Amino acid sequence: MNLSRISMQLLTLGILLAGAGSAYGIPAFARKYGLPCSACHEAWPMLNNFGQTFKDNGYQLGNDRDAPIYQDPGYWPIMFRTTPLWHRESNNRQAIDKVPGDPSSGLVESSVTTSGFDEGGIDAITAGTLYNNISFFIQPFFGNNNVTLAQAWARFDNVLGSHWLNVKMGRFELDEPISQERMLTLNNTGGLYYNYFFTPQGDDNFFQGIGFPQLGVEVLGRSDDDSTRYSVAVVTNSNGQSGLPSSNRYDLYANFNQSFEAPWFGRQQVGVYGFFGESPTYFLTSNGNPIPGTGQGNRGFYRMGAYGHWYVNKLDFYTFYLHGQDNVFLGNSVGSNHPELLPAGAVSPRWNGGFVEGHYNPTPRWIVLGKYELTRMSRQANPGIRDNAGNLDTWTVGYRWYPIMSPRAGLAWTQEFSRVTNAGAAPLSGRDDSRSSFLMGFDFDF
Amino acid sequence: MRRTFKFEAVIFASLLLCSGAGIAQESHVGNLTGNARRGKALYQRYCIFCHGPQGDGQGESAPYLDPKPRDFTKAVFKCRSTPSGTLPLDSDLYNTISRGVHASGMPSWKPLLKQERTDLVAYIKTFSPLFTEEKPGMPIVIPPEPPDTAESIQRGAGLFQSMNCWSCHGKDGRGHGPSAATLTDSKGYPITPFDFTSGSRFKCGETNQDMFRDLETGLDGSPMPSFADAMTADQRWDVVHYIRTLNLHNSSKKNSKLKAVMKAQ
Amino acid sequence: MKLKSVFVLVVIVVLAVCVALFPRGAGAADANASIKGVVKFEGAAPKLTRIDMSQDPACAKGHSSPPTSEEVVVGGSGGLANVVVYVSDGLTAHDFQVPQQPAVLEQKGCQYKPHVLALQAGQKLDVINSDETTHNIHPIPNNNREWNMTQPHGMHLEQTFAREEVSILVKCNVHPWMRGYIAVFKHPYFAVSDKNGDFELKNLPPGTYTITAWQEKLGTKTQKVTVGAGEGKTVEFSFK
Repeated sequence: MNLSRISMQLLTLGILLAGAGSAYGIPAFARKYGLPCSACHEAWPMLNNFGQTFKDNGYQLGNDRDAPIYQDPGYWPIMFRTTPLWHRESNNRQAIDKVPGDPSSGLVESSVTTSGFDEGGIDAITAGTLYNNISFFIQPFFGNNNVTLAQAWARFDNVLGSHWLNVKMGRFELDEPISQERMLTLNNTGGLYYNYFFTPQGDDNFFQGIGFPQLGVEVLGRSDDDSTRYSVAVVTNSNGQSGLPSSNRYDLYANFNQSFEAPWFGRQQVGVYGFFGESPTYFLTSNGNPIPGTGQGNRGFYRMGAYGHWYVNKLDFYTFYLHGQDNVFLGNSVGSNHPELLPAGAVSPRWNGGFVEGHYNPTPRWIVLGKYELTRMSRQANPGIRDNAGNLDTWTVGYRWYPIMSPRAGLAWTQEFSRVTNAGAAPLSGRDDSRSSFLMGFDFDF
Repeated sequence: MRRTFKFEAVIFASLLLCSGAGIAQESHVGNLTGNARRGKALYQRYCIFCHGPQGDGQGESAPYLDPKPRDFTKAVFKCRSTPSGTLPLDSDLYNTISRGVHASGMPSWKPLLKQERTDLVAYIKTFSPLFTEEKPGMPIVIPPEPPDTAESIQRGAGLFQSMNCWSCHGKDGRGHGPSAATLTDSKGYPITPFDFTSGSRFKCGETNQDMFRDLETGLDGSPMPSFADAMTADQRWDVVHYIRTLNLHNSSKKNSKLKAVMKAQ
Repeated sequence: MKLKSVFVLVVIVVLAVCVALFPRGAGAADANASIKGVVKFEGAAPKLTRIDMSQDPACAKGHSSPPTSEEVVVGGSGGLANVVVYVSDGLTAHDFQVPQQPAVLEQKGCQYKPHVLALQAGQKLDVINSDETTHNIHPIPNNNREWNMTQPHGMHLEQTFAREEVSILVKCNVHPWMRGYIAVFKHPYFAVSDKNGDFELKNLPPGTYTITAWQEKLGTKTQKVTVGAGEGKTVEFSFK
């Protein structure tokens, strides 16, 4: 982890910056209310407490500018975001042919580096209120030569006149402990929350992590000043894939947090969360081909943990812990109808992980950040899997500068450096495989 | 000998300190003390785009807002618990920040910590030298509310007429009185009187106590005057009771009181 | 002990010197010069619009014929009324006694009488409502505290203005045609021209002064005048 030892190597192929999900600030809201980005965002896209309360209240400030009928007809609740950037990726141990073009020359491990200008895809978000206490959010994403629907949901806010009952339905980001949709980093190497997407080696669980948008219903409640919050989501167990590809079961996600004011330091928040579900281990087939939606042999899994958000004046820290376990059949990719196929000594894999992310935010126009994250398998699914398979360590440092932040639009300049090390993952030598990434670019939000 | 000089030195030093040179503005709300330096950082994050970097209400968003953001340099505020023409208490400014202002672009800033809101009050006071030159007015005392009887409502209806409330607010309280179209705030921008039929989203709070206070202090910076000397406290309560009956969104229980009053007339 | 009494003596001497060096202003024996004159309006008197007071019958009652606005009031011989004439520069004294007599502003026939009032900072302002209707008095100053008080018939209202300002617009929100002006001065050398345009500034100490005339619509005009002890000078202002 010595900064001076930076060696630029190649990123493994196929991972574009969009992979983990996108992040945004929404200038359409700034335009609607005349507030600057910094009113709701610590440093966009990261939300501060005022912005989080606005979001929890169904994107309503509670003054007369909420209602669509008061809006200038020229106002559109739509924003666009694009991130043109330059980055350099390197991978220190990649398997390549000794003689390029000649597969018979044998594989060697070598470092590979790529760099150049790139883009991070375009987010287009339309969000706001259809009516008093009915809010919506639609987020198509244009990138990866594709258009996907990242989120599309509607919500009844303040049901029965109470902040304690808000009902959301559609495809939505879970009420994550720490939002990875609003992460401050753009790079795909250390700049995402690995724990939100982690699946152990050899595991074919349909569920791929709390970082994916899910399809279902969420009930969220909060106290008046957002200091106490709970959310419970019941989602279909397809990991957010539409078309009912999984089995007719439902997963449950719950999140609870409480914040309090510490004299001299500021707001502190602690919380606990859990995702509990069942995934199919085999499907009905027709001529040997699995039929989507007919998942059988559902077996259980969970992800759970605790987290905190700590403020010391202009410094703030996220701390996050996750403990995960998948059923032995899921962990070994074996249908529960063929227990004899389980390898000797098969068990349910378990792991722990977490991260610490710190920010220094001296003015609304500057934020410096650093993150360290790790995962550790505490028990592999079977003895044939290397003990440290899947373990990773990653760290990121970077900063964002916001020269333009008006109630109309925003521009940020960012530089990030990150490194992820996968234990024993080098393809040939079995040594640790490291990838590092240096990224700089602009973040345009309109 | 030494003791004498020390006495003079102490006096001199205290005079220097009392001259106010270099003392940061402070605010006191409850048992919290606000600090203007911290408030400045918060102001630049949250407030500056409407209220402007000089606190004069000329922020970047101001041309698109109606009503206009408050000009702090004039130290004239609508929502106070002090008499007309006097400075507000720190807690008045704190309450306005926390509650927000209905029918305006000013949101409720309750998600900010209590300490943060108190710091903002301290910083806002630095925009006008009047806060260092003058003390806030004597806060008014809101007496206990008498019962909301039909007689009280009837008296209130009479006062609504004789005090000329109807000339701005209209005979039915809709805000379309004969003078309404001519009204401007103290900056010269058109301003409309409150429409009592629409409910209780008054600018300075929704309760009867808030209404009573508005009548007694007036809303400085607007055409709404103070009735502190024009009516007794009981008469002000009568007007409050009458105004409540004008709300067309009232429950039927409340409206039956109005029917009783109308019958009596 | 000895040093303390020396200190007290020094303070007394310093105070005495201050008093001697800085004159107390009004009331000094040699302040009996005066500047008087007339403010004239050049050209034909402008036609004044009629005010419709039918909104409040109690207002219309006070007028035999519909009243006119008072923006530019020209008297018979071309004299311009309601002009505030005052010393704007040249005074050496700084402390002036505030008169005990209050200045009176009356609301009569739903108009302000006088239309333009001048008084000293700190001097009491008595506002009287002679009309059988409720007014509100709403001065909108730039350099003084803004206040807004309702005044039913017969209620007594007293206020002061702390700082110099020429001039403060006074409105009644209930009766939108009502407009008046209040000019506030630190010193007593001011006057408001009467219906013939005449004014007089009395009891001036000798010196060279800048005299300013302010009219609510036509702006300001200045002149420099030098008066010796006991001298009386005449000046004329002309507005178009």
